[in-house]
Amino acid sequence: MWFLSFTKVLKECDHDQSLQFACDTEWRMNGHVKSMHFRQFMEPATTLLSLLLIMAVDSTRTVAASRNEQCGNSLQQTLKLTRLVQKESVDLIKTYKASQGEISELLCKVSVSSVPDPNISGLEPSERIVSIYTHLQAFVPHFKRVYEQQTDLQLPTSPLLARLTRVSTHSRNLATLVNLFYQTLFPNVPIPEPAGGPTELPPPQNVFQQKVYGCVVLKTYKELLANVSRELRTLKSKVCRNRKRIQINTFYF
Amino acid sequence: MDSVRKLLLVALMLAARADGLNHLVTFPQPPVVELGSNFTATCVVINTTEVTADDLYWNLSGTTLPRELYSKINSTALSVTFTITSERQEWLLCQCGKTSPDVVLNQGRFMHGIMLVKGYAVEKPENVTCVALQEETFISGTFSCEWNDSGHQTKDIPTTYTLYVKDLMGKTNHSATRDKRAQVFLGTFPDHTNLEIWVEAHNKLGRAESEHLFENAGKFIKTNPPDNVTVMSETTFPTSLLLTWTPPINKNYVRLRYRIRFCPEGAHTWSDVPQVDTSHEINSFRLQNLQPDTVYVSQVSCKNSQQGHGYWSEWSSNATKRTAEDVPKGKPGLWRIISEGENTGKRRVQFMFKEPVLSNGRILMYDMKICCRVNGSTQVESLSFNTSETASKSSHREITVLNEVLIPDAETIRVSVSAVNSAGRSAEASLVVPERGREPPPVEELRVWPHEDKLMVEWRPPNSSKVSEFVVEWVRGGETDWQRESKSTTRTHITGKLQRLVCYTVSVYGVYSGRIGRAASVEAFLEQGAPSEAPSVSLVGVPGRNEANLVWTEVLPERRQGFITNYTVYYRTGTEVKAVTVPGNSSSCTLTSLLPDSTYDIWIKASTVAGSTSGFIHSFTTQKYAPGEIEGIVVAVSLGFLFVFLMTVLLCFYKKDVIKENFWPQIPDPGESTIGTWSPDYPLKAEPPRESCLSGVSVLDVDRCEGRSLFEEEKEGLPLKKDKFLSEEHSSGIGGSSCMSSPRQSVSDSDEGGDMADTTASTVQYSSVVASNGYKGQTPTQPPPTLFSRSESTQPLLDSEENLDTTLQEGSRLSQRCSQSAGGDQDPRLQGVKQGEELHTLDFCPLQEDSENNSPCDDQSAAPTSSYMPQLVGESTVSESQLRV
Repeated sequence: MWFLSFTKVLKECDHDQSLQFACDTEWRMNGHVKSMHFRQFMEPATTLLSLLLIMAVDSTRTVAASRNEQCGNSLQQTLKLTRLVQKESVDLIKTYKASQGEISELLCKVSVSSVPDPNISGLEPSERIVSIYTHLQAFVPHFKRVYEQQTDLQLPTSPLLARLTRVSTHSRNLATLVNLFYQTLFPNVPIPEPAGGPTELPPPQNVFQQKVYGCVVLKTYKELLANVSRELRTLKSKVCRNRKRIQINTFYF
Repeated sequence: MDSVRKLLLVALMLAARADGLNHLVTFPQPPVVELGSNFTATCVVINTTEVTADDLYWNLSGTTLPRELYSKINSTALSVTFTITSERQEWLLCQCGKTSPDVVLNQGRFMHGIMLVKGYAVEKPENVTCVALQEETFISGTFSCEWNDSGHQTKDIPTTYTLYVKDLMGKTNHSATRDKRAQVFLGTFPDHTNLEIWVEAHNKLGRAESEHLFENAGKFIKTNPPDNVTVMSETTFPTSLLLTWTPPINKNYVRLRYRIRFCPEGAHTWSDVPQVDTSHEINSFRLQNLQPDTVYVSQVSCKNSQQGHGYWSEWSSNATKRTAEDVPKGKPGLWRIISEGENTGKRRVQFMFKEPVLSNGRILMYDMKICCRVNGSTQVESLSFNTSETASKSSHREITVLNEVLIPDAETIRVSVSAVNSAGRSAEASLVVPERGREPPPVEELRVWPHEDKLMVEWRPPNSSKVSEFVVEWVRGGETDWQRESKSTTRTHITGKLQRLVCYTVSVYGVYSGRIGRAASVEAFLEQGAPSEAPSVSLVGVPGRNEANLVWTEVLPERRQGFITNYTVYYRTGTEVKAVTVPGNSSSCTLTSLLPDSTYDIWIKASTVAGSTSGFIHSFTTQKYAPGEIEGIVVAVSLGFLFVFLMTVLLCFYKKDVIKENFWPQIPDPGESTIGTWSPDYPLKAEPPRESCLSGVSVLDVDRCEGRSLFEEEKEGLPLKKDKFLSEEHSSGIGGSSCMSSPRQSVSDSDEGGDMADTTASTVQYSSVVASNGYKGQTPTQPPPTLFSRSESTQPLLDSEENLDTTLQEGSRLSQRCSQSAGGDQDPRLQGVKQGEELHTLDFCPLQEDSENNSPCDDQSAAPTSSYMPQLVGESTVSESQLRV
């Protein structure tokens, strides 16, 4: 677009110069003079062209910087919340273990099949962002289930319930921010919803199974957040800077 | 618009017809009208031709609206348009002014109205601000918001505000309130997400929304102040303190920046650390350029580090720490107090040290050197004083007062001192105490006056260019402080902490290259007040009758609280109060013109320029009499009596003849009578009396004790004695007469010499007087009878008592008189009486009756006739006493 506009401006400039040239021709009526005037015309035109090129490059950079800033702000905000949720997930698992009794350490060593995988998948940044969003969304019902189970196991004043609520809320907000970040990067591509229907939740469990389930969910979630945090840092260095480079390349090529 | 109005009119007419009661109908009937807007109402006549629109009028709260506001739509419809002004509810009535019977009788049908409930149009809230406070270790999900609303609202149409907070998920929480603040609870604070916040105001007239805030949630955060704020002092850095703290919240919630302020302890102004230095995330800060050995108080506050986000937290609690000590900067203060020594020729000098202005630590000791010249050689004495061992300390810059040193008057000493603290030693300060009498001259025209809570001191420098500096000293009681001023200073204020209502003695000394000149001193008060107490007045001695001497003691200096300008002594008796004002330097006065025997209440009022204070009341009672008045009266009376007595005595002395004449009338001297000359046995030979008195008076002596024997003797020797009697002139002793006061025996008879004493003892005052001389030379026609005359005098016989010789001489006369009377008793009556009386007493010589009877021609003898009878008793009494003697 900027290139087109530049061409248009150059054409208008050329048109104006042609008029001036015609006037001069009529006034002097000399071919040698014509040649000299043409040379004289070319020098300011070149200067003007150079000036316009610089202005165009600078404008392009400004726009690219603005977009990059927008990218950075969105990612930065997402990253901040990721760090917060990661910190809260660490505190949450500690609180969870402290509230489950003596065998709390053993609870988390049992594997539960229905808990989502904490690993981020995908090759392209967009795919990995979508993977983050999908995983975060997948944990929402699990958090809800754990909260329900712990509501029966804990006192209403238990700090575990408050922390669960906080982490769950922040997790949803984080998913929303990731979505917005994705929208920032790919404004015309809607983020795909998780395939395979709703998240699979475990069947009714006894208290031990509930405790094991809760611990595994929180532990897995903590791992997920660690992965998300790492992934977002990677994206920060890749995506936003790449976008800047992409903008500039678009201008030159 | 007109079409709408017509439609409404038609609809209303139809409705009214259906009603069939009122003949007037008004419309519209709005639930509320907006204040300030123009309101148009229409009244329609229905179901009657009795009245037309011309008969209608509009009434608003009892006031008929002017016709100019009316608009006649047709013959049955009348509208009015006016501006809604007052806030109160009111009725707008359409009434009929026609007075036809139908209208009058059905007045209720010809009236219809509109209830105007008024309100203001809502305006959108402005300046919405919200805050989310820290709760425990995270930010609370409760948003507290405030806003402004410049609009008005009425009691009938209140405005309700609804606060909306929309989170990232699109969930909107809201809270409604009538106030201009509200809270919305979000459950969990939406960290690092954006929020949309706005306020909607609405009432019955409409609604309005504030500007929507699209802000990151971090913009509303207000955390707790930093925790565990501590300060550390490092010995190697005496001018800095290391401040550390703990963030109140984890950095994942919010990254913080800080602001720090500090001040010396006790100061009232804070010094702020530039926020550029604390804008980044730090947990410690080093305060620099501080004063060594000074206690500093520090506080820390924090807020969201993102620019424009969050609110500053409250300041943390104080973190207090003293900086480390450093080497003292500057010289210590050095001064002296000179007083007279007990030993002549020596002065007592007390040195005082004041810490350097920048002591930079606790002064542990002072090193002092005293240089003096003795016999041409300089002696140096070094002393060290630990501050903990000094005598006294005062506040402000600590003053160390050393013990007194005796210095000879003729000696000049130089003292230098340096202060030592744990970090090092200060520069030396020196002072020269010149020998007595050779001090440089003092400053002149010293003035001290209070000015803006300070004492200003002004002086004129002495006429000497050698003054190097001045020292201003102020003394309060025994507390001394001083300050040094440059040599160009002629006016300054006392920098020490002065107290009000306290007298200071301010002195200015010129210092001549270390030599201290003489002082110029004045007394001054920073602020004067009324004396805290008045002196107690007392009487000197006993009050007088009209005056009383009063005395009082001076008010103690610490209680004067100002210069006593005067004392006023009040004295009151009854309801009358008088006052006497005396100068302030008086301590006594005398009250005069007091009423005697009156009780006075007296009290004294001490006054300063700032007020007065009255003392206690003392009472006394004046004397009834002045001192000496009683004595004067007694003396005067005594003198009066004495005077009267003396006058009486003098009168008696000088007027004794008159008195004698009055009290002892002169009786004719029988001795001078010629009667005696013509006694039968007496030769009628006129002989001049040898002695006028004695020769003419014969004393009749009666020896009463021996009366009987005497009579008997007389009887026996009558013839012999008769001759003797006749041969001599007989005189009668007259009492009270100088010459005849005592009975005298005119003739001394040798025969009667042995009886002289008895005769004298038995002398009788009264005797018969034989007048002889008076009639000497007279030749009676017939021989006169023997005449006896008797004196009436009761005069004591003073002469006989005074002069015994005379008495002895007169003793013979007395005895002669008695003998004469006995011998002369030729009257038988007399003899009869004498005989009758012999049985009882021999008190008197009963010659009177004979005398009376025998002297009818003698005028002088006749006069005292009546006196004879009372004299009988007196004669008897005296005679008895004389007899006893």
